[in-house]
Amino acid sequence: MTAGPFTIALAGNPNVGKSTLFNALTGSRQHVGNWPGKTVEKKEGRTTINGRDIVVVDLPGTYSLAAHSVEEIIARDFIICERPQVIIVVVDAANLERNLYLACQILELETPAVLALNMSDEAHKRGVHLDPQALSAALGGIPVVETVGSRGIGLDALKAAIQTALAGSSQPFHLAYDALIEAGIARLAARIGAYPELTAVYPARWLALKLLEADTGIVAQLEREYPALIGAARTIAQNIAETLGDELEILIADQRYQFIGSVISASVTRTGRAQITPSERIDTILTHRIWGIPLFLALMWVVFQFTANVSAPFVDWIDGVISGPITRWASTLLTALGLGGSWVQSLVTDGIIAGVGGVLVFIPVLTFLYLAIALLEDSGYMARAAFIMDRVMRILGLHGKSFLPLLIGFGCTVPAIYATRTLEHEQDRKLTGFLATFMSCGARLPVYVVFASLFFGARAGNLIFALYLLGIVVAFVTGWIMKHLIYRGQPPHPFVMELPPYRLPTLSSVLRTIRGRIQEFVQRAFTIILACSVIIWLLMALPATLDWRDFNQVSISDSWFGAISGVAAPAFAPAGFGQPEAAGVLLSGFIAKEVIIGTISQIYGGETADEADSSTPSTLADDLREIVYTFGQAAVLTAQEAINILPRTANLLPGVDLPEANFLPLEAETDAASGQMNQALTQAFTPLSAVAFTVFVLLYVPCLTALTAMRLEFGVRWMLYQVVYTAAVAWVGAVAVYQGGLLLGLGGG
Amino acid sequence: MNTSRTLDHLMPGQTARVRRVGSAGALRRRLLDMGLVRGAEIEMLKRAPLGDPIEYRVRGYHLSLRQAEARMIEIEA
Repeated sequence: MTAGPFTIALAGNPNVGKSTLFNALTGSRQHVGNWPGKTVEKKEGRTTINGRDIVVVDLPGTYSLAAHSVEEIIARDFIICERPQVIIVVVDAANLERNLYLACQILELETPAVLALNMSDEAHKRGVHLDPQALSAALGGIPVVETVGSRGIGLDALKAAIQTALAGSSQPFHLAYDALIEAGIARLAARIGAYPELTAVYPARWLALKLLEADTGIVAQLEREYPALIGAARTIAQNIAETLGDELEILIADQRYQFIGSVISASVTRTGRAQITPSERIDTILTHRIWGIPLFLALMWVVFQFTANVSAPFVDWIDGVISGPITRWASTLLTALGLGGSWVQSLVTDGIIAGVGGVLVFIPVLTFLYLAIALLEDSGYMARAAFIMDRVMRILGLHGKSFLPLLIGFGCTVPAIYATRTLEHEQDRKLTGFLATFMSCGARLPVYVVFASLFFGARAGNLIFALYLLGIVVAFVTGWIMKHLIYRGQPPHPFVMELPPYRLPTLSSVLRTIRGRIQEFVQRAFTIILACSVIIWLLMALPATLDWRDFNQVSISDSWFGAISGVAAPAFAPAGFGQPEAAGVLLSGFIAKEVIIGTISQIYGGETADEADSSTPSTLADDLREIVYTFGQAAVLTAQEAINILPRTANLLPGVDLPEANFLPLEAETDAASGQMNQALTQAFTPLSAVAFTVFVLLYVPCLTALTAMRLEFGVRWMLYQVVYTAAVAWVGAVAVYQGGLLLGLGGG
Repeated sequence: MNTSRTLDHLMPGQTARVRRVGSAGALRRRLLDMGLVRGAEIEMLKRAPLGDPIEYRVRGYHLSLRQAEARMIEIEA
């Protein structure tokens, strides 16, 4: 480490397999998407070249360094300020022309660079033949390497090229513009030379070019301190524009593309006629004038089925294992230690194990959700979804791209908020993030499932679907109001979006995505949810009277938890769930939606758990056999649910009634603990108040983590708007459902 | 100038050359960056199912523009 660590950066257009190459280079875990502008986060990894540790930074995918979007600003600032020793410019070998535009801009920044012709196999297949040496020569001698990131091809050559670039003292690349522009650049660069503090940061020629282009970012940065320089740039640019008859911004872009044209004709040969690619053939169906929308809706329905039903058997399995064998083992162990029946046992089983279980049951749900999203993103369909939906999203004053964060919102509000960074404009981002919380997140689903299946049995699906729909309607109404009242009269932002070619998602990248996201969830959930579970257990164990002799011996209503909930409860009486227990559950849900079910099972079912586990003596072998057997059962049921998506989807059509697969008829068995909880819930709620309660859970304040994300992305004020608005909407919605239901005579349940 | 046409008038399968990108600010910058400079060949492929946006092929890749954005681009008659 004598010379300090080396940093290299990966730059490139979106959808060129940059993330895949990053993964191949570093072996790190990170998501690979196929959505324009997907990689907003700065991703770092490490690799070794010739025994030397090197930091690799994955820059956001951009089309330009013009600093008109967040991604462009991040990428440009990193290159200028952090000065990576080498930049790997990743380009799609099959789509060189537009890709080289960014490459030129990076080369003009005069940092050592390597050009990686990625997905060169795809290019060859399409009859595009590249001559790396000719390309290198045309681009001023920078190393050019052919790679296939998804299969790790060309990595050694790339590493060798990085070394060459590190060692090399190649001339800075100068794209030769029109003589008049060159004269202007030279004059301005000379003036810039008088400011050593500027030339210390920016290459003089590059800065001169940017000032002549009237780059908004750079001009804004320098306007205050260097008014004379900016003024001079304006005069020079104006003179050139008058002589050449067009603005310099246009002329410079023109000439970059002209230069690229000459580079391409020197280094690329095409064999065979340009033919319709398989991707285009797929697209004629998926964005078809008539079939496009039904196919889009069907795909979304399948995604929904995947997360709601296909994941269910394993949710039940994990729940069964935790509340059955694991709780029994813990109790047995603690009894052997002489702590049976003590508060320690209560803490372990009701606080810790219940909390851990509350985290683990989400793994199947989120796995299937992330699987669906990763497939949509990596295949390229996400951009088509935006293409198809733009006309609709525009009604809300949003971009077709807003559809993605909103869709992700069905998984979790937190990534949805971060996904809004794919939008270029702050207003779009804020509005999309604001609406994303109404997309019912994955953590809210189990609440609906518990209530719907308990109160509506076989028709549970109807209530759940209606809740999702209600969230969407509330989002639409909110968006419409904001567009017409708050953002009235503002011009729409550019749409301009690439439709990348369809690609077969690679299994490893999809699995890496899922694993990364699940890991993140579990880590986050364990700390927060475990802490909350224990705190709630503590609040329930602490007597409100503060009489320590009663610790862990009080009923919930006499505990601190009961006292706090009791204060809040009357506010919910008009919505039909004015009991302190319900208020307590909602209180815990503010900390994280994931704990709602955990709290419900603690509050409504937890108290009698001690009797349940001592009543079923079983051996370790019995337990293990049961775990394995129920696992097999869950696997079969998962397959069954996956197959049943087909008949269920077809059955949506009128007149179609396909039979559903039924490998394992579900026994109507419920384990003791959840049976207890269900009984308590049916006593506490009527079907109507259960609906009002789920409506409230759907609409109310996003969880602490989501609010933290909002605060970081959109600012404190916007976050507070969100809290107030969601609380108000949820209360009004729940009260309207309950009071409306009573008026319609649905109250007697 | 009476022959001045804009990109949104192309029918599916029709090809034209860009004459000039009108508009200004962020939209023009983005259109230029995406390769819609003078002389670029652009083919209209299709409209989205709801009529807007429109899909084009330019410089070997597929680009979608809203109709209002396509109207900013003058093409050779």
